[in-house]
Amino acid sequence: MSVRISPREAALGPRSRRRIDWLPYLLALPLAVFLGAVLLVPIGRGIVSSFFSIDFLAPEQGKFVGLANYQRMVQDPGFWHSAATTLLYTSLVVFFVLLTATSMALLVNRPFKGRVLARGLITLPWAFPEVAAVLLWLWMFNQQYGILGLVARTLHLAGDSTPWLTNPNWAMMSLILMTVWKIFPFYTLVILTALQTIQQELYEAAKIDGANPIQSFFHVTLPGIMPVFSILTLLVTIWSLQRFTTIWLLTGGGPANATETLVIKVYNAAFRFYDLGYGSALGAAGLLLSLAVASLYFMVERRSASEKV
Amino acid sequence: MSIRPHRLSKRAIFYLVVAFAVVIVVFPSYWLLVTSLQEEKYLLVYPPYLTPQLFNWRSYLSLFEATPMVLWLRNSIMVSLGVTALALILSVLGAYALSGFRFRGRGLFVFFLLATQMLPQALLVTPMFILFRQMGLIDTLQGLVVVDTAFVVPVTVWIMKGFFDSIPREIEEAALIDGCSRMSALFRIVLPLSLPAVVAVCVVAFFEGWNEYLFAVTFVSSSDNWVATMGLASFIGELATPLELVMAAAAIFSVAPVAFYLLMQRYIISGLTGGAVKG
Repeated sequence: MSVRISPREAALGPRSRRRIDWLPYLLALPLAVFLGAVLLVPIGRGIVSSFFSIDFLAPEQGKFVGLANYQRMVQDPGFWHSAATTLLYTSLVVFFVLLTATSMALLVNRPFKGRVLARGLITLPWAFPEVAAVLLWLWMFNQQYGILGLVARTLHLAGDSTPWLTNPNWAMMSLILMTVWKIFPFYTLVILTALQTIQQELYEAAKIDGANPIQSFFHVTLPGIMPVFSILTLLVTIWSLQRFTTIWLLTGGGPANATETLVIKVYNAAFRFYDLGYGSALGAAGLLLSLAVASLYFMVERRSASEKV
Repeated sequence: MSIRPHRLSKRAIFYLVVAFAVVIVVFPSYWLLVTSLQEEKYLLVYPPYLTPQLFNWRSYLSLFEATPMVLWLRNSIMVSLGVTALALILSVLGAYALSGFRFRGRGLFVFFLLATQMLPQALLVTPMFILFRQMGLIDTLQGLVVVDTAFVVPVTVWIMKGFFDSIPREIEEAALIDGCSRMSALFRIVLPLSLPAVVAVCVVAFFEGWNEYLFAVTFVSSSDNWVATMGLASFIGELATPLELVMAAAAIFSVAPVAFYLLMQRYIISGLTGGAVKG
């Protein structure tokens, strides 16, 4: 086989085969330069500026302060509070998103009349722009006139005016409710495609073996969607750690910092308190957290890829 | 009880559960439309009316008189088109390099592309702000095009590469034997066959520009350059604009992405199998 010259090589001729083919580098160059300049350079500079004390209005005249920003960070109770908030928000979103997404996917997986319509409607929130969704939910969460107040009262969950966004505990719950509504459809769609790949014969075999629907769920359905499940868990984790617009516009991190995740705290430090050095240190901590999750993602990705082979 | 009614009731329960799920998920969208068509006297009441009390389409007209919505939408369209064009060019070239060639550094490049997806945008916004100010890109629509493209292009390259990979190599090789260069094979053979991927890339890139808020609100200051996400967000906490107008603005802004999603639902779902679409 190795002796055979492929048509491509034949077309290129023997001379060019000996030289390095520069074409792929030329093709990839614009993308690499662009992403390098717009993303890599700022990351590098962000990390560098975390070792400086920088005024927002004159960022070029920073003063080197070594690890002072990091020292301040670990001594700042607000940092630990926001780290805990990030953890709480992320873990609850992961749990409820995967639960909702899986139930919805199972619900519309098998054929029935009107399935295409039901699928389209159930996954609709995914297409909604985040900012428009927040405007809508702010109105529904309105303490005086919001429709959700009526729901809460009808279900006897709360009294006449529910402090959806003004009470720290309620605010975290409301934020999670809106987040789940907005993002679960993506995961439903991915789980649906995974469900389609499960062979129907497996269900029939389980039925012949006398398995009830619950048993066949645990022994056929669940193993079938498990591979995408681990990847989806990591994706929803990473994207929840990163979420900005929804939190910023719905609660702004409040009330009483109850929903101030790390990302919101970084933004506040830089653009509300004009403390670039400290903001960069917080940012570096957040970057480290994301990278930790990302390396986990790549490990799982690699493992599941090798399992496929 | 005979078997038939029992099965029928099981079926009825199933449809009830589906209907319940659909109603819960769709209700907010219904509420957006209903609110946009009401007048204040029907909105600021408790308990709220669950059905529209009137169909007052005027709020959609007065929105354009009372707010600079036309300007905001125009700016959003400009940014989105810019992102689409830039992302398309970069993705086609980059994806062809990744799909059609084996070269040293390819693995590193793939890793770099995927790694950019892990970077929290809010943590990059400060250093990017400083860099963009030095380059004179702050408070310009071009600046937003550059930022939005940077965050969407790793996704669009992946979509494009996935599609290029699925084109049989023999087609391209036949063109090369006929004397085509690799570049003309890309533009004459590979790209025309990849029209669905080109459309997908355009849609994804366009709505990245359309929906982006963080960098817009941080980088843009002068009101002439406001994009629609900024305009919509500026309604939060202000009391001057009537609620039905705010909801009408949100509805107008959402129409394009929602319509696109419903029209291209089948295609988007099949595209997800490659795991290439960002949530």
